[in-house]
Amino acid sequence: MKKEPARVIHYMNQFFAGVGGEEMADIGVSFRDGPVGPGRPLETMLAGRAHVVGTVICGDNTASRGDPETLQDIITEIESHQGEILVAGPAFNAGRYGIACGAVCETVQQRLGLRTFTAMYPENPAVEQYRRSLVIVPTTSSAVGMRDALARLAVLISKTFDGTPLGPAREEGYIPHGIRRIELAQRTAAERALALLLRKIAGSGYETEVPLATYEQIVPAPPLTKLSEAIVGLVTEGGLVPIGNPDGIRHVWAKNWAAYDITGCSEFAEGQFEGVHGGFDRTWVEADPDRLLPLDIIRELAAAGIVSGVHDEFFSTVGNGTPVSTCSQFGREIAQRLLKDKVNVAILSAT
Amino acid sequence: MDLGTQQHVLDTVQRHGAENIIVLLGAPDPAGAEMFALTLTEGDPTYAGPLAGVSLGLRVYHILESEVRQLVDPAVYADQVGIMALALDSDAIIAMMQHMRDGQA
Repeated sequence: MKKEPARVIHYMNQFFAGVGGEEMADIGVSFRDGPVGPGRPLETMLAGRAHVVGTVICGDNTASRGDPETLQDIITEIESHQGEILVAGPAFNAGRYGIACGAVCETVQQRLGLRTFTAMYPENPAVEQYRRSLVIVPTTSSAVGMRDALARLAVLISKTFDGTPLGPAREEGYIPHGIRRIELAQRTAAERALALLLRKIAGSGYETEVPLATYEQIVPAPPLTKLSEAIVGLVTEGGLVPIGNPDGIRHVWAKNWAAYDITGCSEFAEGQFEGVHGGFDRTWVEADPDRLLPLDIIRELAAAGIVSGVHDEFFSTVGNGTPVSTCSQFGREIAQRLLKDKVNVAILSAT
Repeated sequence: MDLGTQQHVLDTVQRHGAENIIVLLGAPDPAGAEMFALTLTEGDPTYAGPLAGVSLGLRVYHILESEVRQLVDPAVYADQVGIMALALDSDAIIAMMQHMRDGQA
C-alpha cells in the first residue's frame, strides 16, 4: 500500500516569513497553511514524499525568551495541524533565531515525540546548547547557503519518512551529538590501536575512534579579596562608540576593537555616543548608553568608596556574527591592556 | 536585502527592463556583497522577499571596482569613497564580485 506523504510543519522567524525585520521581532505565534518563504523550495525538494502542510511563525525576541506560554502556543499549532515532522530554520548565524529553533525543536521532541530537524552555522551559540539532543545540519554563516541547507534537510526528512534510522553524524552530515554508542568490532582494541599507529607513522589518513572534545575551559577568575581596592574596567561587545564610529568598527563580523577615553565623565552623555551593533534595536542604548555599560553606577560606587575607581578608558567591539576565534583574540588583547593598566575587575556587558 | 528594497528593485526592472539596468553596490564586506549580488541575479537566497525565485540576472558592480572607479571624477571619488576604500577589504570584495559575475556567465 502506498504510504501517505509525511506532514511537515515548518517553524521560522518573522524575517524569513516575509513579515518584516527587527521592527517585527516582538510578534507572537501565528500559523499559515502550506509552505512560506524557504519552505517553498523545501517543499519542491521533498518531491512528494512529504508535504509542508503549514508554517508556524514567531518573532525572534518573543521566541528566544523561551516563555512557556509561547512554546505552548507553538505546540498547540503543531498538534492541531497533525504535524508529524518539524523543521526549524535554517537559522544560519542568527543568534536569537538559532536559540528559538533549538528551543522549539527540543520542546516538540520532548512533549510530542516528533522527529525534528534544524540547520545553522556551526558557530551559532545554539549549536553548543542543543547539538546533543537535536539533528542540526551545518550551514554557511549567511543565507547564501540556503539551497544547500534545504537540500540536506530534505534528504534527512525523506530518510525519516522511509523509516531508515539515521546513521552517525559523519555519514549523514549533521553536527555530531557527541554521543558514543557501543558497537561490536571484529578486531581487539590493541589490534585497532596498532593499525592506527602504523597509519599515522606512514603519514596516511587515520581517524581516531575516540575524538576528544576541544571546548575551551573557561577558568573563573579568583574572587576579589577587597572590593574597595577594585579598579573597574568597562568592556562591551555591544558596539558602543563615540558618534561617527571613529575606528570603523563593523556592525557585523567585527575586525577590530577600540578603547575610548572616559576620564572625568560621570556618565555616558546622551548624544555623544552611538551603538553600531547590527544585531539588536539600538534605540535605548543611544538614548542612555549607561544601560549598555553602567559607567554612571560604577562612578556612584566609586564615590561611595565601595570600589576604588574606574579605568580611564572603556573598550568596545561588536560581537554580532563575529567568529569565536576572533572574539578570543580581542578578549586576550583587551585583557592584556587592562592588566597593564592595573585594572583588577572587568565588567563585560553583552547583548 | 530588506523586503521593501527588493520590491523597489522589482518595480524598477518592470518599468525599465533588466537590460537597461546596472546595479551599483556599496556593501562593506564580501559576504554582504555576495548576498546583494545573489539577490539581484539569481533571486532572494532567503526566499523571504518579493525576489524569491525571481532571477533578474541584473548586471552588478561594486563601487570599489576599477571599472566603476574610472567613470567617476577622481575628486568626487576621493571625497565620497576614498577613506572607506582604504578601511574595507577591497581585494576580497572585488574578488567576490568577479566570482559572482563569472558564475553568471
